[in-house]
Amino acid sequence: MKAEISPRMKVILYGLMCVLLIPFVFPTWWMVTSSVKPISDIFAFPPQLLPQSYDWTTYSKVFELQPFVKQYWNSAYIAAIVTIGTMIVSSMAGYAFARIKFPFANTIFMIVLLGLLIPSEVTIVPLFQMFLKAGMVNTHWPLVLVPIFGAPSVFATFVMRQFFVTLPVELEEAARVDGLGRFKIFRKIALPLARPALASVAIFTFLHSWNLYLEPIVFLSSADKFTLPQALTQYTDAYGGPMWNIQLAAATLTALPVLIVFIIAQKQFVEGLAHTGLKG
Amino acid sequence: MADVTLSRVRKSYGALDIIHGADLGIRDGEFVVLVGPSGCGKSTLLRMIAGLETITGGDIRIGGRVVNDLDPKDRDIAMVFQNYALYPHMTVATNMGFSLEHRGTSKAEIAGRVKWAADILGLSQLLDRYPRQLSGGQRQRVAMGRAIVRNPQVFLFDEPLSNLDAKLRVVMRGEIKSLHQRLKTTTIYVTHDQVEAMTMADKIVVLNAGRVEQIGAPLDLYDRPANQFVAGFIGSPSMNFLSGTITEKGFAAPGIVLPLPQTASELNDRKVVYGIRPEHFTLDDTGVPAEILLVEPMGSETQVTMKLGETQVTGVFRERVSLLSGATIRVRPELSNIHLFAADGGQRLN
Amino acid sequence: MAVAQDNAIPEGRSSSPFWTVARRDSLGGFLFIAPQLIGITIFVLIPLGLVFWYSLHEWNVLANTFTYTGTQNYQMLIEDPNLPQVLGSTAIFSAGLVVLNLSLALLLAVLLNQRLAGITVFRTLFFSPVVVSLVAWTIVWGFLLQKNGGINGMLQLFGIEGPNWLRGETTAMISVIVVQVFKNVGLNMILFLAALQGVPNELYEAARIDGAPRFKQFRRITLPLISPTILLTSIITIAGSLQVFAQIAVLTQGGPGLSTTVLVYYLYQQAFQFHFFGYGSTLSILLFLIVAVLTFAQWQLRKRIVFYES
Repeated sequence: MKAEISPRMKVILYGLMCVLLIPFVFPTWWMVTSSVKPISDIFAFPPQLLPQSYDWTTYSKVFELQPFVKQYWNSAYIAAIVTIGTMIVSSMAGYAFARIKFPFANTIFMIVLLGLLIPSEVTIVPLFQMFLKAGMVNTHWPLVLVPIFGAPSVFATFVMRQFFVTLPVELEEAARVDGLGRFKIFRKIALPLARPALASVAIFTFLHSWNLYLEPIVFLSSADKFTLPQALTQYTDAYGGPMWNIQLAAATLTALPVLIVFIIAQKQFVEGLAHTGLKG
Repeated sequence: MADVTLSRVRKSYGALDIIHGADLGIRDGEFVVLVGPSGCGKSTLLRMIAGLETITGGDIRIGGRVVNDLDPKDRDIAMVFQNYALYPHMTVATNMGFSLEHRGTSKAEIAGRVKWAADILGLSQLLDRYPRQLSGGQRQRVAMGRAIVRNPQVFLFDEPLSNLDAKLRVVMRGEIKSLHQRLKTTTIYVTHDQVEAMTMADKIVVLNAGRVEQIGAPLDLYDRPANQFVAGFIGSPSMNFLSGTITEKGFAAPGIVLPLPQTASELNDRKVVYGIRPEHFTLDDTGVPAEILLVEPMGSETQVTMKLGETQVTGVFRERVSLLSGATIRVRPELSNIHLFAADGGQRLN
Repeated sequence: MAVAQDNAIPEGRSSSPFWTVARRDSLGGFLFIAPQLIGITIFVLIPLGLVFWYSLHEWNVLANTFTYTGTQNYQMLIEDPNLPQVLGSTAIFSAGLVVLNLSLALLLAVLLNQRLAGITVFRTLFFSPVVVSLVAWTIVWGFLLQKNGGINGMLQLFGIEGPNWLRGETTAMISVIVVQVFKNVGLNMILFLAALQGVPNELYEAARIDGAPRFKQFRRITLPLISPTILLTSIITIAGSLQVFAQIAVLTQGGPGLSTTVLVYYLYQQAFQFHFFGYGSTLSILLFLIVAVLTFAQWQLRKRIVFYES
């Protein structure tokens, strides 16, 4: 399949890929360009690929109608805490499952893996009750604690374990001979070598937290506590209909930073995913 | 007829020439070895014959047909890869029969051919196993079985023994050679190991940096290498080289004068490279002095690292040398086995 | 555990410590996994048990009643007139999503596995929807799918009158599936790409010499050798498809009627819109059982259809 390709074949392949690319790229393009169109132009026919007139007030309205800056900050700091917390918890657990012999390790690992299968919707009702009893509803605590310690971090643990299994044991044996204890071995040898795996864990944990929708709408009720996905759907007019251009502006603001980071670091994103060991 | 001819075959990647015009004629039934150091282009050449690489210039003919633009499957060749390239998810039998499936051969005939090949290679008990259950040598034999099942015009071997341990290599060498004697199929064999080349080939092609240095029978290359490269490549331990000038008294190298054969007389005053194989020194009290640096007894022979003048050389003697480093022995190079090469370019002079 | 005694050891010393190196290491192991394990227990296992407990009660949060009703909720479940359609919608959604997702991911991976200039740009672009905010992506699509939105606008350029995508039962289901697939297929594409690149090139060369045509190479060599990845991605994709919530909540709110009300959305409605926490919990158990059974079935199938190297 790596045979040299004829020029004619090349044209066909490029053409096919460009056509397939449209539904992947067009929505993002539409989102950005429509966010600055006046509302009447958004539904204009023929559809305007590039705005013909500009309405820059959409962006300011985004901030006027909701505490958008606060909401942005909410999403950001929650995602940051969750990412760091998950990296710590999952790297420790993953390392232990990969390298340390302790009784029932395999059984416990199976139980932990169960977390991957349980949809968050299944546990959301009792979790709500638990946090209600603890007085933590309408705070950000559920959005931080559950991802770090619960089901979402299990995937991270799995990835870290797969990675640590592939580290050569000799490195740690040499460290043991040098007199390092287990935790020091983890901190000084295993962890620094785990950068690629940690990077992909960080990326996916951040994205997952950034995109959470069910949990915020269940747990949060005041607008200044909302996270971005939640806030995006709140831009409705007096009749409850969506204010499209403002929503799109807010959506652009939400998506753009992540997109920019992605374009800069796309190699790490993609290769991190490819090496998660999901090859089976 | 399964002869293979290469005429002015060239290969370039963009501006970079990998193979600079190779000419080669292989007769039907011959066992030809392409040998050379890493990167010399031998594998590339083999893959061009197979059809796995395109040909930038020149022609390749198999059985008289020009095959330049033919797919591998239409060239009637079979190949044994260095890493065996066995399909890991198929049994030995399916692996061997895979190539016959696409040619409209009936199931019964496929089974028959597979059995025939398996019998020849001693694989009959392993037909239901998977490659991961086999040892290296067994996998190699399955790879060979896959090749012979189709009864092609030409066998191509790409460094098949490199992944085996030394002892197994010796055994498999013999098996490949006897397979060739039995089936008499034209074989082109690539290796970097000159011992394999010497023991297996009817004809050796020595390659260096994309050029053919010499083509000939093994002993011809051993006795009369065409240039310094071939001289140093063929033979183990390799030939000793001393740089110096031809004078009336003999060959003047730094710190020593060595005897010259009669044929060298016309080359007076030339700067040459003097070549003598380690096994062509004899211990002789009337010879030149050599300071011993290291003595390595191998049992049947003794290898001695010594200094002729200021040049360090290796000698291999049938007699036991029980002297220690620092002592001096006297050696004589066999006149009939002295090779002279031009100091510039390395061409053979005598 | 007996330890060889050196004569120099004075009397009274114990012969072996309790905390051997191995035991201390085990303890360390438990400490390492403690956060994750405790977290799983608190946030996954206990809730799972609680869900089961709740499902045995009738629980109206507004009226603040919590009465034990035994299997009454499960009776209701069996007799729920909506349930067959909900399950049907769920099945259609999952099946459509998984089939479309996996085949598109494989197609894209094969396309991207060529040595073409600029192929990494394409790879990045195909992957970009994965990182775009989910709700943002859904909102844009919702907007494009309006009767007078971008998609119908494009169709009109070709003289085609597009339907009101989100208002027709079939078209709404198709829309929801397509939106979800294009969002996430980049992930599976990358996984398949990695798997494809793990197949040694030599095998294809041998197949070329053996005379296998390209399609046969794909069927007999590529597919078997990437089957572990196919299985794993299908398990993850199926499990994920049963959890799709935001798209449906934003795009169709389960409508029109019940046509896009998948089990997860139905659960949300019952628990958080109608405040029937007890019944919602019953639905949660049902969801969990479905996921568990499907995953178990696929895991058992692996012996039959997946080839493993070791």
